[in-house]
Amino acid sequence: MTIVDAIQANLLSPAVLFFVLGIIASLTKSDLKFPESLYVGMTIYLLVAIGFKGGVAIADAGLAKVWLPALAAIVLGALIPLWTYPVLRFGGKLPGVDAAAIAAHYGSVSAVTFIAATNYLQAINVPYEKYATAFLAVMESPAILIGVILGTLATKSGAGKPKANLRTAMHEALFGRSIFLLVGALLVGAFSGEEGMKKVEPFFVAPFQGVLALFLLEMGLVAGRRVGDLRKVGLFLLAFGVLVPLVNGVLGVVFGKFVGLELGGATLLGVLAASASYIAAPAAIRISLPDANPTLYLTSSLAITFPFNITLGIPVYLEVARFFFR
Amino acid sequence: MKQVTIICEAYALESIKDLLREVGAHGWTHFTVEGAGAGGERTGETREFANIQVQVILQPAAAETLMTRLHAELFPLFGMIAYESEVRVIRSAKF
Repeated sequence: MTIVDAIQANLLSPAVLFFVLGIIASLTKSDLKFPESLYVGMTIYLLVAIGFKGGVAIADAGLAKVWLPALAAIVLGALIPLWTYPVLRFGGKLPGVDAAAIAAHYGSVSAVTFIAATNYLQAINVPYEKYATAFLAVMESPAILIGVILGTLATKSGAGKPKANLRTAMHEALFGRSIFLLVGALLVGAFSGEEGMKKVEPFFVAPFQGVLALFLLEMGLVAGRRVGDLRKVGLFLLAFGVLVPLVNGVLGVVFGKFVGLELGGATLLGVLAASASYIAAPAAIRISLPDANPTLYLTSSLAITFPFNITLGIPVYLEVARFFFR
Repeated sequence: MKQVTIICEAYALESIKDLLREVGAHGWTHFTVEGAGAGGERTGETREFANIQVQVILQPAAAETLMTRLHAELFPLFGMIAYESEVRVIRSAKF
């Protein structure tokens, strides 16, 4: 499979096509709109479904297999803001607090990007470690905390700025609804195991693809509404939103190979490293670093990096992984 | 009695609730709203990017404190507007 075939296979999947449809609906000012409760309901469904499946896989594989790659995922999540912060601060000449906020978003992860990647691997028959959901769970918070610390330091050096609230950020990063649901469902899955899986399978497995497609239609609408903000963020962030995921994707794949993951698992760690958060991180950052400009971090993560990863990034990270696993 | 209405981004809710408790509000109502303003169009479709409206009924002195503190403490941090109006309250003992 060449890289063009790989990208084509991804672009023609229902989920990605629905995402594009959502963007078109938004750009053409269609009155298509999802009720908020449906959006929240689908988020809960997707997180619980992947959490549960991941938990069952952890019970099956045993913690001995999972802890090292999970630790690598945590380290990776913490490292990304540390290297992207100086790039944003000095390369992009952004204020410290904005650089810290964006760095936190890129170190943290997007669950939907991860789900789309697992979907893609399944569709083209690339096996992957099913317990990889655990990496998603542990990578969400470390970067947010590092980002808030960087932002607090940057804010303190400026005179008369309000103090960033690390405690609120920690609460949001550890108990926010997405991380809470994901970790909770992982534990439920791990305790109930294969037997439990049989009971919930008709609900959590068979309809999953359909819900994901519907959710990506909504994400297309949400991302499409931010397209107008692209002009506000400037060329630097446009380039940052595409190039940094590529670098992080390679880093993730290399980390994955180093800790003994297979091709599929390493690809997923690459996808996680490349993805940027747009639910957990904005909530934590908006409250704890209110001085940071939300247009910058939301637009770059939601309108640049998310669409890039969903359409082109995922197959590219797989090809990167193939290169390292040759 | 005064009714203070605050329309702001959803992320400001916790800070507003803290402030309401501090100025002695006994209760309040908040809900997701849609509209457009300086921050562009807000559709209320996703909780994260929605606007909310907070309404609270207060004694005039408490309303004054609330408006002053909103202006000083929260306006610099969040997208937000606030206005107050005179209202006739039937069960005024509750406030």
